[in-house]
Amino acid sequence: MATEIKSPTFPESVADGTIANWVKQEGEAVKQDEVIAEIETDKVVLEVVAPFDGMISKILKPAGEIVLSAELIAQFEQQGAVQETTKEPVIESNQPTETPSNTTSTSSSDVVKENGPATKKLLKEHNLEASEVSGSGKDGRVTKADVVNHLEESISAAPAPIPTAKIVQSAPQTGAASDRHEERVPMSRLRSTIAKRLLAVKQETAMLTTFNEVDLQPIKDLRAKFGKDFEAEHGVKLGFMGFFVLAAVHALKKFPVVNASIDGNDIVYHGYQDIGVAVSTDRGLVVPVIRDADNLGLADVEKSILDYSIKAKDGKLSMADMDGGTFTISNGGVFGSLLSTPILNAPQTAILGMHTIQDRPVARNGEVVIRPMMYLAMSYDHRLLDGKEAVAFLIAIKDQLESPEKLLLNI
Amino acid sequence: MYDVVIIGSGPAGYVAAIRASQLGLKTACIEKSFDASGKAQLGGTCLNVGCIPSKALLDSSHRYSDALNHLADHGIEVAPPKLDIPKMMARKDQIVSQLTTGVSGLFKANKVTSIFGSAKVLNASQIEVSLNGEVETIETKNIVIASGSSPINIPVAPIDQKNIVDSTGALEFTAVPKKLGIIGAGVIGLELGSVWARLGAEVTVLEAMDDFLPMADQKISKDVFREFNKQGLNINLGCKVTSAKPGTKNVQVSFDTKEGSSEATFDKLIVAVGRKPNTENLLGEDSGLSLDERGFIPVNEVCETSVKNIWAVGDVVRGPMLAHKASEEGIMVVERIAGKHAEMHYDLVPSVIYTHPEVAWVGKNEAELTEAGIEFQSGSFPFAASGRALASGESTGFVKVIADKKTDTILGVHAFGPSAADIVQQGVVAMEFGASAEDLGLTIFSHPTVSEALHEAAMAVNGKAIHIGNRKK
Repeated sequence: MATEIKSPTFPESVADGTIANWVKQEGEAVKQDEVIAEIETDKVVLEVVAPFDGMISKILKPAGEIVLSAELIAQFEQQGAVQETTKEPVIESNQPTETPSNTTSTSSSDVVKENGPATKKLLKEHNLEASEVSGSGKDGRVTKADVVNHLEESISAAPAPIPTAKIVQSAPQTGAASDRHEERVPMSRLRSTIAKRLLAVKQETAMLTTFNEVDLQPIKDLRAKFGKDFEAEHGVKLGFMGFFVLAAVHALKKFPVVNASIDGNDIVYHGYQDIGVAVSTDRGLVVPVIRDADNLGLADVEKSILDYSIKAKDGKLSMADMDGGTFTISNGGVFGSLLSTPILNAPQTAILGMHTIQDRPVARNGEVVIRPMMYLAMSYDHRLLDGKEAVAFLIAIKDQLESPEKLLLNI
Repeated sequence: MYDVVIIGSGPAGYVAAIRASQLGLKTACIEKSFDASGKAQLGGTCLNVGCIPSKALLDSSHRYSDALNHLADHGIEVAPPKLDIPKMMARKDQIVSQLTTGVSGLFKANKVTSIFGSAKVLNASQIEVSLNGEVETIETKNIVIASGSSPINIPVAPIDQKNIVDSTGALEFTAVPKKLGIIGAGVIGLELGSVWARLGAEVTVLEAMDDFLPMADQKISKDVFREFNKQGLNINLGCKVTSAKPGTKNVQVSFDTKEGSSEATFDKLIVAVGRKPNTENLLGEDSGLSLDERGFIPVNEVCETSVKNIWAVGDVVRGPMLAHKASEEGIMVVERIAGKHAEMHYDLVPSVIYTHPEVAWVGKNEAELTEAGIEFQSGSFPFAASGRALASGESTGFVKVIADKKTDTILGVHAFGPSAADIVQQGVVAMEFGASAEDLGLTIFSHPTVSEALHEAAMAVNGKAIHIGNRKK
């Protein structure tokens, strides 16, 4: 009996995903819980596993195809059932077959939009996906006429072909220019999502940035003095990031509107502080979220940052790790950035940008002294936050960082 | 207060009533017809005096003709079959009664209230129903007019239902007329003519127009004309009847042709010149509705009249007077009343003439496409090349598929031959889904079936038919 394999249920923030590849092919034997497919979403790669021993009888969504949450992607044949169907569809066996209770099969109420045979043939012949052609048929099905018209339009219109899933190399020109190599590759899903999101934030919010600087001498002193003990006690290094997270939490509690977000015409105030920490990976920037940071101590924060960066490096961050967040901290300092204006992580209202720590001359009590200084930048959505609040919020963070002992006194 | 009251219980009305009730609307259906025993008669023209009884007689007469003329071809010798017309009629009446009782059962099962009497629309929320002088006013939120149509009476040949009959009377003959005249070579005239010709009548069809079946594909019209004349229907085109005088036992008919005036004597004369909408005495003065010059109720593409909450469907509105078109309109309207999205594809209403062989088509024919300036390609396949048709001895006719020249989208399917209606129906399904001729070509058809002719015709559109030579493009 065939079982339906569906894509995992995506969280609300994820609209769709792309089948990155089919690890197992049609007819290939697989064991229960073996990975059969990988689905790339704009946040992570999700794995689809075999519900039980058997094989994929039919792949319905080939690699590269876009899938929705819990969409039918393949038919799966349970082992044993395979041979039976090839023989006669009679009795299963005299002992009751144990059907695993955790089968992924669900009722197939979803309409599978099958296109007509001529449509499928024409799409294949032109290396097109049905999703690339707008369908005029029943329930949006693509008809042969749709494909014919699509082909005609794409010939007459686009001077530059839009790349689909293959690398298109521009034809090398003869002669001297032959080394002027150009390569066209499609954006990865993560890249195109980042592009879309960032552009949307620029267009849909009233974003501006306020700056300040922080003297990190007190924290440096603290680290010099207790760093070793801290590591011995907690098994994690005493870094700067933990202080920033806690300083942000403290300031967010003081200014709850910074922790809020806009939803339509409403302002949603969040009664918790989930702090996203931007981490750079090979695939692009990801933002795992430290949840309920207000309940965490410095060591807990440092530990979860460490966990996340290991996971991120291995590409093992899960969707749950990155969902949500009420405020984000981005550290451009690790790459040496002196000053930058971070872009909001929608729908959050503010983002804090950390930068490189530089020994700079500053005036202290009428004298020039050298201090480890860092520029702070906070971009915020002016629709929700007035300049006064934003500036005060950033100063609150600065104060907290310059007097880390305040953490102890909770002031 | 009803949610919907439907006037008429024909294929538009009863179908709409059942669906309305399924959608949770409080529904009533008004019918004014009574049978001989005084009992209310549901089902309208289709069930009582149209589609169903005519098909009963077409089938009976076909069997007789088969036994008389064709069984011997199969090596079956029978004594000359004898006709029992009263029994044939009784069988037909029994089928009608079974189906009309069925409608009444469906009403009960679906909790549709049946109301008997003549309806008059007073305004968008009130209908007056009169029955034997008693008048009652019914309140409703929506009105669906589905009052149907009746045969047209022409002054030169007044119906007496004895010697000069309409389509209803033609289903009630108690004996086979020796000489039968039919005015009108349309669908009804051809079907009734077929019935009585098969049963032994000498049939003469008088058609005023010079063209035969102008709405059908030209090649089909030509083939059908030839075939029916062969079957004993003497079809005369361009014959304008000037008078019909009923005598005691026969009818004297005078008509003009291009050659001059002529006369003929028939035992019976059937007038089948068309049908008119039943809209007389239907609308009250304050209903806000008016009729067009031909008596139809004007509606838009979703059957809304000019008055909000009054709808009209079936034979009382524009479009072909066909039961399946009427039913679909009925469903569309009540779905819309229930707030759902529903619409009709008027381009995809199939037409059928239930003669033998059948004639059927859907979509556009070549002449219409040429006139509209649409470039097309067509492919035909004759039943003479179909193994199954030959095996059945039913090899007359052909199937034609017409597709857009550029996109290959099917624009029309036309058939004349065995099971033509069912073959065209397959085309209707494909066309609903925007199929191309290639789609049909890439679909598996069972072998051997007459439907394979559709497969081959579809492949022939692109010069790829297997079982006939393809025309050079």
